[in-house]
Amino acid sequence: MTETSTMVPHVPAAGGRRLPAPRILLRTGALCLVTAMVYVFLYLPIIHIGLGSASRNTNFPYPPHWAFKAYADLFANALYRTALGNSILLGLGSAVLTVTMSTMAMIGVLRFAGRHARIFILLFVAPLFVAEVLVGISSLVLSGLFLGLPGNLFSAMLANSVHCFAYALLIMATQLYRYDWRLDEAAMVFGATPAQTFWLVTLPLIWPGLLGAFLISFILSFNNLEISFYLLGATPTLPSVAWGALRYGVKPELFALATLVNLTVLAGLAGMYVAMARGWAKFGHRPERGAAVG
Amino acid sequence: MTRKRLAGLAFLGIPTVYLLAFFVLPLLSMAVLSLWRTENYHIIREASLGNFATLLTEPAYRTFLMRSVVMALSVSALCIAISWPVAYAIMLYGGRYKLMFSLALAVPFLTGEVLRVIALQGLLGPMGIINATLIRMGAAPLRFLMYSNVASAVGLVYLYLPISITVIYLSLSNSDARLVDAAKIFGASPVQAFFQVTWPLNLFGTMIAAVLCFIPCLSTTLVPRFLGGPDGTLYGMALSQQFGESGTWALGAAMGVVLFAVSIAATALAFRLDLRRTGYSGLGRS
Repeated sequence: MTETSTMVPHVPAAGGRRLPAPRILLRTGALCLVTAMVYVFLYLPIIHIGLGSASRNTNFPYPPHWAFKAYADLFANALYRTALGNSILLGLGSAVLTVTMSTMAMIGVLRFAGRHARIFILLFVAPLFVAEVLVGISSLVLSGLFLGLPGNLFSAMLANSVHCFAYALLIMATQLYRYDWRLDEAAMVFGATPAQTFWLVTLPLIWPGLLGAFLISFILSFNNLEISFYLLGATPTLPSVAWGALRYGVKPELFALATLVNLTVLAGLAGMYVAMARGWAKFGHRPERGAAVG
Repeated sequence: MTRKRLAGLAFLGIPTVYLLAFFVLPLLSMAVLSLWRTENYHIIREASLGNFATLLTEPAYRTFLMRSVVMALSVSALCIAISWPVAYAIMLYGGRYKLMFSLALAVPFLTGEVLRVIALQGLLGPMGIINATLIRMGAAPLRFLMYSNVASAVGLVYLYLPISITVIYLSLSNSDARLVDAAKIFGASPVQAFFQVTWPLNLFGTMIAAVLCFIPCLSTTLVPRFLGGPDGTLYGMALSQQFGESGTWALGAAMGVVLFAVSIAATALAFRLDLRRTGYSGLGRS
């Protein structure tokens, strides 16, 4: 497994021609400026609606006059509460199915596929290259037209998990690629059953990947509209309710809803960051491979 | 031995059956439906190529498709052009905050399209931050940012920039830095080292990033609806209308088949690159 890349110590760029100092400064400055602008571009709208949701002057909250009427309206609305429950159910169901399937698939590819690995990988990452809306309408055609089943939360779970499957598979791939299967064999040699091996050896070692895949699948399904829309039938979820409201104009409640979801995602990722920075878990991330561009 | 074969059958078989049942079979049924037709909201089960003929002859659908392809191409090109310096800067100067920078890209990506379109209204809309600031300053609002194709393009770049930066960043962090060092030791200038080593080594990752932008842009339904103008109807929006307002499912299925064919063609084109020559390191080397 170990190729030369880990065996040979890293050679620093000692020799070679270097850029003269002013040009290095120019390059650094330009790269950092573009990067800073991109982060501002990505976060400005989020911060803008966050401020807007918490102030009386919703449209131009500079400076904000704090008021939390939008949040009060949001919590008072029973439809949003039902939708939140449905969205959580949808996310959980889809994430459990996705993580189970993608873990099995990746273990299968790495341990059992042998020379057919390429074909299986091609099938398993295919959902990544098919548009969400196609997953949605094709599932609708199959279940609604050919099987005559009404849309519900369950059909939306299945279709969402297909879309998340490819993402989860990639996360599991980074986690499992470096897994040492001799540990499992050792456990078996000493008399563990396959189930015991899985629970006592494999699972404790790969849980960060599983958690990462679970979180990503949950969040993607929770927020999905383009797939769920066609399969939900009359079940409201947060994105579908928000979409319905958006058609009649942007309201402060929608800003509040988006801000709450943003804050939740931010908190989750901040937790992951702290866990990784402290070295509690790696989530498939490999910091030792950091210095790749010199 | 038989036990191992049984385990292999289970581990590979169950996900395969799952994907065949919930991914491949729906796509096949969509292809079957595309050959039928809809009359007065009823599906007539007679095979014909009428839907595809309609798509070919009706100028509106050709316009939508061409407009979508142009939009998706320009958005992917923009995303790649912006992503490279950003991914490269994170790689070079990220230091111990690399992880934080890459996770920070996930917050906008994971928030869902509807909520991000709401956020984009806060950026581009008539009451959005740009135009509101201009009005406060006594200037005229920028008309081209309100309900136009430019607004759609900015919105799509906003939606898919995080994923293209992430893919290129992953590609950069998987490529072998010692090759660049070697090139420099043997006298390559930094520019030469970049264009002869770094760029070709990461071309495959760049192509994946481009495809992952191109496909959702081609089929986007929400962005043109809320940010695009009256002449901004894109293919995905027209497609979703067949299943919504107009109820012509068979024609919609045919549009879906065309969309699928275009996405597969784009993917195949991107993957025709010789993987060994680009030095792609696969799922990551240990």
